[in-house]
Amino acid sequence: MSRLEQVQREFFKALLLPLRGSSRNSTELAPSGEGHAPEFFRIADEIIKPGPELGAAERLELYHRQYWFRILDSLAEDFPVLRRMAGEEEFWKLIEDYLIERPSRSFTLRHLGEAFADHIATSPWLDEMRRGWFSAVARIEYAFMKCFECAQSALPEPEDLADSVIELQEHVQLLGLPYPADLCWQWTDFEPAAAMAPQLVHIAVWREPSGRSRMERLEAGEVPLLWMLQPGIRLDVMFDQLPEPAPSEDDVTRWFAKWQGYRWLGVRGREGSQELDRGIGWEGMDRMSSQAVSMID
Amino acid sequence: MAHPRFTGGKVLGTGIGLRVPHYDHILGEKPTVGWFEIISENYMVRGGRPLAVLDAILDQYEVVQHGVGLYPGSSGGLDMDHLRRLKDLIKRTRTPWISDHLCWGSVDGRMSHDLLPLPYTFEAARKTAGNLRIAQDFLEIPLAVENVSSYAEFNDDEMTEWQFLAEVTEAADVGILLDVNNIYVSSVNHGFDPLEYVDFIPAERVAQIHIAGHSRYQRFIIDTHDHPVIDPVWRLYARAIERCGPTATLLEWDSSIPSFEEVWTEAKKSEDWRRWLAGEEKGGACVEA
Repeated sequence: MSRLEQVQREFFKALLLPLRGSSRNSTELAPSGEGHAPEFFRIADEIIKPGPELGAAERLELYHRQYWFRILDSLAEDFPVLRRMAGEEEFWKLIEDYLIERPSRSFTLRHLGEAFADHIATSPWLDEMRRGWFSAVARIEYAFMKCFECAQSALPEPEDLADSVIELQEHVQLLGLPYPADLCWQWTDFEPAAAMAPQLVHIAVWREPSGRSRMERLEAGEVPLLWMLQPGIRLDVMFDQLPEPAPSEDDVTRWFAKWQGYRWLGVRGREGSQELDRGIGWEGMDRMSSQAVSMID
Repeated sequence: MAHPRFTGGKVLGTGIGLRVPHYDHILGEKPTVGWFEIISENYMVRGGRPLAVLDAILDQYEVVQHGVGLYPGSSGGLDMDHLRRLKDLIKRTRTPWISDHLCWGSVDGRMSHDLLPLPYTFEAARKTAGNLRIAQDFLEIPLAVENVSSYAEFNDDEMTEWQFLAEVTEAADVGILLDVNNIYVSSVNHGFDPLEYVDFIPAERVAQIHIAGHSRYQRFIIDTHDHPVIDPVWRLYARAIERCGPTATLLEWDSSIPSFEEVWTEAKKSEDWRRWLAGEEKGGACVEA
């Protein structure tokens, strides 16, 4: 291993150490050093040169704190409903626990939460009911993020329905959830969940033409058809392969009308364009920045 | 003045960063602006509103891409998927050059989302230069690296930061995005003379200059981009353009962002300095220098 690699691995190891003690809410390192593991101080002494004003550990601490504040705040921003359901203490414990176990693997902070739902589903300190509900809420909230940045294929013209491969737009996210977690969007806290039994629900999350994201429950019968459409299929082939029991012609007509109305269908291989509606705000647009916003009080 | 091979032959004046609080004003009022700098990673998506906004901006304005995720100093090498996404975006923006930071930021695919400082060693310079060469060759566009503001130095350091910047850019044959605010921030945090830094850099490589504000704490400065540019940074800027000639200049304002007019007015102060140094007039903002 080269010396450069060695130094970077040590530096990174220090960044990943959890925030401890007073480092959570202070801009100064605790004089006693109690805020950090001995490993942190060992790394600081080994690789960082003390400066005119700050010691080696204090210099490393600036980066450590920036790392944690940035990813914690960014992840929290993406899961507001989970935060409301879990409550502040449990929520921050959940996201810190997740980020300790699974550091970011994407160039963008938008993807920080990609495995959060799976993490919650196996969390040892949540009871079974909370694991199920919270994981389902996280799945929906991450689907909102995903559909925000997905590609858009061209909307089918009438002649395309007969001749082209029709696909479900990439931004339409299909979720099968063991709890009716979409109800949490209407609740102020988690209290109502205590009286509810598990119930399989299917939900679609998608991006409207305006760019705003929406979700809606699906009928059980339309889900298999949407799964068939997801990778792209000619409609005549699809109708030859309808699952048993076959849906009624009325249902299929109604579903197709809805999907077309919502612009869920696209022509495979033909790029579409996103309309720009300036009336819905710009939330989520600017996640990456060139400086240390995370350090601002 | 920068050699045209570092700017794609494009001569740009004053620009500002394209930021969300100004979208409505820019898209609605279409104000006169020299050019916008975008953070590449915010637009490296497959579709949706980020690209719709970008396309609307590109219809009206010149855009230059500035990245935060190349991490050319990472010992593990470059992320080729990242480069491919970057190249796709370059085709869309037709940016005359592209910039990123002289830093590292990931280990084994795990990301810090920060611009981490490099040890100023000959080994780090060789590795970083090699990565920058690969990136510039792959992207097929002039690449400039920006000096970062830093809060730590390394026991391994074998040279100063300005020697390291020159060593890397010469070896990689890339341009420089000289951030004079970052020089100031690091000079206070590490106790060096910022003028010595500006006087040392290879001027013909400076494709672009960044100016910004910062936050001063009791014992250190953090590069927060949330204030106007302070006088000592303007004086560094003046020295930089004295050496480099009129250079594309961009004001970064990323937090506590005021109105578009306020940001643009602050950015245009750089034009007073450029005119003053060209002997055309004594701009009000420059008299004290």
